[in-house]
Amino acid sequence: MADDLNTPLLDELEKGPWPSFVKDIKSLAGKKEMAKDLLRQLEKSYEDKRGYWKHGGLVGVMGYGGGVIGRYSALPDEFPGVSHFHTLRVNQPSGWFYTTEALREITKIWDEHGSGLTNMHGSTGDLVLLGTRTEELEPTFRALTEKGWDLGGSGSDLRTPSCCVGPARCENACFDTLAINYNLTHQYQDELHRPMFNYKYKIKISGCPNDCTAAIARSDMGIIGIWKDDIQVDAKAMAEYVDSGMDIQGLVVENCPTGCIGMDGKEINIDNSNCVKCMHCINVLPKALSPGKERGAAITLGAKAPIVEGALFGSVIIPFMKIEEPFEEMHDLIERIWEFWDEHGTSRERIGEFIERVSLATFLEGIGEKPLPQMIKAPRDNPYVFYEEYFAEEGEGGK
Amino acid sequence: MAIPVEQLADEMYEIVKESAGVKKLKGGDLTKAMVAKYGDDVSRADVKAAIRVLIDSGRCVYGYFGGSSIELPHTEAAENQ
Amino acid sequence: MATEVERKTDIGPPSYEQFLHPIIKENYGKWKYHNNLGPGVLEHVGETGSIFTVRVSSPRLVSTNFLNMIMDLADKYSDGYFRFTSRNNIEFLLANKDNIEPLKQEVEANGLLVGGTNNAISNIVHTQGWVHCHSAATDASGLVKSVMDELAEYFTSEKLPAKLRVAVACCLNMCGAVHASDIAILGVHRTPPKIDNQTLPNLCEIPTTVASCPNNAIRPTSIEGKTTVKVDEDKCMYCGNCYTVCPAMPLADPLNDGVSIWVGGKICNARSEPMFTKLAIPYLPNNPPRWPEVTSAVKKIVEIYADNAKPYERVGEWINRIGWPRFFDMSGIEFTKYHLDDFRHAGTTYRRSLHNRY
Repeated sequence: MADDLNTPLLDELEKGPWPSFVKDIKSLAGKKEMAKDLLRQLEKSYEDKRGYWKHGGLVGVMGYGGGVIGRYSALPDEFPGVSHFHTLRVNQPSGWFYTTEALREITKIWDEHGSGLTNMHGSTGDLVLLGTRTEELEPTFRALTEKGWDLGGSGSDLRTPSCCVGPARCENACFDTLAINYNLTHQYQDELHRPMFNYKYKIKISGCPNDCTAAIARSDMGIIGIWKDDIQVDAKAMAEYVDSGMDIQGLVVENCPTGCIGMDGKEINIDNSNCVKCMHCINVLPKALSPGKERGAAITLGAKAPIVEGALFGSVIIPFMKIEEPFEEMHDLIERIWEFWDEHGTSRERIGEFIERVSLATFLEGIGEKPLPQMIKAPRDNPYVFYEEYFAEEGEGGK
Repeated sequence: MAIPVEQLADEMYEIVKESAGVKKLKGGDLTKAMVAKYGDDVSRADVKAAIRVLIDSGRCVYGYFGGSSIELPHTEAAENQ
Repeated sequence: MATEVERKTDIGPPSYEQFLHPIIKENYGKWKYHNNLGPGVLEHVGETGSIFTVRVSSPRLVSTNFLNMIMDLADKYSDGYFRFTSRNNIEFLLANKDNIEPLKQEVEANGLLVGGTNNAISNIVHTQGWVHCHSAATDASGLVKSVMDELAEYFTSEKLPAKLRVAVACCLNMCGAVHASDIAILGVHRTPPKIDNQTLPNLCEIPTTVASCPNNAIRPTSIEGKTTVKVDEDKCMYCGNCYTVCPAMPLADPLNDGVSIWVGGKICNARSEPMFTKLAIPYLPNNPPRWPEVTSAVKKIVEIYADNAKPYERVGEWINRIGWPRFFDMSGIEFTKYHLDDFRHAGTTYRRSLHNRY
């Protein structure tokens, strides 16, 4: 089938227990010249220890500035099958749920219009269709939209929001992650398809502090579930854990970061006023413990990978807000943030870098939020305070 | 008085043309240029609509080179036939 | 161009609701708890019944053939319903408990593994590498395959002290955001771009190329009457942004590109706060197709961690408990000047107390 490939180095990667991408790409080689030349070029990369791709920045579908990543082989004469090898980012459904009926429509389109290769999924969350020619971009887009699919973001725009499995299959979800993800994606279609920002803006949504979408590390804006009241305890289930002989003292009590848990026989006592909602006890004792009833989300801003000024985690901008349909409070917050960042940010400046440059205090003022002690680990330890209020002698115009 | 969207589009097109090959302009650069020229007579929404006119008509295209830009259609360095 | 149907734009993604299994719809937001039914298998108990999850490995880079195989299994065993996790595992969502074993057998017969739940290594999140990226310093898919072939037993069992999250990014741009993983494998360029002064003047816009550098390391210059650019090598941090706009400035350097290993990051808030990964090994050579130096280094770190950490302790928590000097001792990893931070806020990583272990 693919005997003419001659890829001895890649063939090594067909062995071993982990599923082999080489074997898989070879399965396409019978019908796709693109798949064959991809393997041949990759074999050359393995021989020469370097990549052979060029970035194409101008390709796209009509009217959109996002959703397509241009790629050309640096060796088009040697590997004409991958002379063009562009990517389409297809906006995934909330929580990455599919039916076979729906996804088969996409595989059919992609067999017809592209390489047949995909990423399930890309780092931002999109369903990635990997490898096609410039002239196939528009027909692929048309075929996708006919079946109800649209492209995701790329470039200096709102990147495709993504969310965890949430209330669809998790008892810890503090709000409806899938609904707000769907709502925000639809609310901001223009911002997603037509790049107008200083730089990218990623939104990730996790239903609890376990943060399965890595919102605190990977999103300019994280919406992360949290609760304010007491952890809910099912006393009977708790007693069953104790009866099972589980080392609750070692595994739960001693791992509590604030030491706010004590055991009294089969009863668990939690000093909820000192609980930092870390999730450890709930994770270990899922039948007995669950998040409280007064649920919502904390909003973090500014996480990013290292380029350029170093990696940042998101920091808390809103310690708690209710997340409820129709999500207007969230729209209002997002738009206040974008407006201030648009106006005062510089080119290629992520929101986290922007906040560090203008200071958190200025940023909060700019978006109309009050400073709160939950936003910091500790108050400043340097004395260089720029006082804006001071007294003046009468008639000299103090503030 | 509000400036018509078509007029904004034409003026921004001229700016993009002058800048071609010298500086890649972003949506924000064009917005700031129009706001600087017309002040309160132009809104961000108008500028956005005008950019959409430029793109949808094919007079300009989006580019991405470590940040998104609005450019004249042209053959880029990396392109293969 | 003639159009038969109206061109649609801005329709957004389809609603997730149509993709939810009926049992999930009934119990949406009403799940009570979950049971662990062995590696890769979970039962979520709701008010009206249970949904059973079978989690399966995936290379992430998958063909339509692969997806069709997965979908044939979903049609057969999970009423056509399935999903993907944020770490690119496949999850079949079953209403019928009796389908778990036959599904597992058929998954394995198709060359895939069931696992990745609880105290296991989950799928490695990774980037494009030499398969698709213009700035990759290494391949991602091949590295992941090589590492996971070595660590597969930790995917199909739950014998680690806690969950272990491994990530691969093929250059410093970190599309894979590996900066908060238990173990991160990061491709590194170590030399500035090489300028092809013959082709650059014809191929690239000089002002755009100059402007592309985030560190202002690129300046226009003139060589034999032709305008080209030069790079201030001390300022270059090998991001590849200039190569993005100017193909005459390739960053790839087969002699020097390679891989670095980072440890101790975490994202979830359980017990300790989220942590960045820290440098363990500054450089290992690119040695395709199997990257033996990388796989053995990662395996060694995993094994030392598995043998020494307490239950629920993530890699970073374990190292914080024993101290970094002991980590370097135990792992046999050489401590070098490259481990000392010299970027922004470097001082915050210096030892500013006498809390040392000797």
